[in-house]
Amino acid sequence: MEFRGFPRPDGSVGIRNYVLVIPEGLVASKICEFVPGTKTVMSAKAGAGFTSRDRETIARTLFGLGLNPNVSSVIVQGGSPKAGYPELRTERIAQEIAKYGKRVEIVDAVKEGGTLEAIQKGIKIARELVFEASRVRREPFGLGKLSLGVKCGHSDPTSGMVGNPVVGYLFDRVVDAGGVAMFGETTEIIGAEHILAKRAVNRQVGEEILSRVSCIEKRALSTGEDIRTMNPVPDNIAAGISTIEEKSLGAIYKAGHQPIEGVLDFAERPKKSGLYFVDSWMGIPSIFPGFAASGAQLNLFQHGGGAGAPNNHILNPSPAVVSPMLWTSANPITFAQTKGSLDFYSGTVIEGKETLERAGERLVKLVLEIASGTLTRGETINYTEPIEIYTIDPIF
Amino acid sequence: MAEKRALILSPKDNVASVMEEVSSGDDVVTQGGNETLLLQAIDKIPFGFKVAIADIRQGDPVIKYGEIIGRASHNIQKGALVHIHNIEGARGRGDLQKNK
Repeated sequence: MEFRGFPRPDGSVGIRNYVLVIPEGLVASKICEFVPGTKTVMSAKAGAGFTSRDRETIARTLFGLGLNPNVSSVIVQGGSPKAGYPELRTERIAQEIAKYGKRVEIVDAVKEGGTLEAIQKGIKIARELVFEASRVRREPFGLGKLSLGVKCGHSDPTSGMVGNPVVGYLFDRVVDAGGVAMFGETTEIIGAEHILAKRAVNRQVGEEILSRVSCIEKRALSTGEDIRTMNPVPDNIAAGISTIEEKSLGAIYKAGHQPIEGVLDFAERPKKSGLYFVDSWMGIPSIFPGFAASGAQLNLFQHGGGAGAPNNHILNPSPAVVSPMLWTSANPITFAQTKGSLDFYSGTVIEGKETLERAGERLVKLVLEIASGTLTRGETINYTEPIEIYTIDPIF
Repeated sequence: MAEKRALILSPKDNVASVMEEVSSGDDVVTQGGNETLLLQAIDKIPFGFKVAIADIRQGDPVIKYGEIIGRASHNIQKGALVHIHNIEGARGRGDLQKNK
């Protein structure tokens, strides 16, 4: 049960080999246009008017993506180092990455004498960094070196029945091997939180899970609306899910059966291996880059899709920027509609052709192949999506 | 006419998920749970949707995965489609808060 990945100085293992340019802006985007093998993070949340804890979340997302094992080195571009919020200063972001031994270069437009000059300097550096990255060779590593994130979406009854439990099987295997597995979507454990709290490694973690859910539910109540008009989303209801409780009780199967080691904030890095609940919002552009900033080299989307889509439907190719996206589904209709975009089908279990364990083993094998360099279907499309950092407080 | 299949996810459940589209009047046979039940559908039930495997009275819990997924907002007859027209969630109900 091995894959071939890129060894990194901090002991982590990349399954891809990118140079990341952060934060997004004209300089970063021009560098990425010019130099293959580079990525940038498109986020409109730059921090102005945000509370200190939300600014820290924005910073954590940026340097977290830089620290992701799929990133070989980082360019941080910025203006004057003495201006701006302390959390988000160029020097600070660079230091947070460099302290793990990863190469970081700063491109400072003030120092370079202008934006165009900074672009020129950035391109020169990026060319050097992608060349250097290309010389690193893949080596064999065990399943326990993987960190995975999962979200279920467009959920339908096949999700809770088969799709999520098959991902849960993979999660159990990865955690057993000493890896990290993360799930989240706080709204979507409402009604199932008592089950998860019982699975916590200790009472403190159990109480933390309950408290995060209670916080979200109070916010839902304060809107004066029935949560069912927001979540389950219309697609879920059209596919047969009736209440948030039903959605949650099906959703938690994707987390497998291992004890829950801890609760993480958005983009927080786990301190040790195990299964983690990430306090997060369900949105695709939000939760996946969050998992990647927490260190996930690979993300899974467990797709229901029962409400229907056009044939030849293309699924979000790269919401996590530096981590590929593996799409699974157990719905036979979805499978037919998304041929060429879906990476894994577990509807065989519903059709009675395969046991859940057999499907789970197939998924483990596929994950190891993708970790070794086989492309996900999303990676055959040249499109990087904007991200939505999960901030909590009002903006001023 | 062949019987249609439905899956009971936990022995405590009072609903089952149909594994193929069911028409009103179809016979439905269940898998999972403690025993195999044979019931007659009284509604059209699309793939994956829930069918009541027992009579459920208004206000009673609707149970799937062995857990409460909501409460019956009307009396639900065995064999009926169970969905938003006859069950309500109990959680995150800001609309009910407002009227208090």
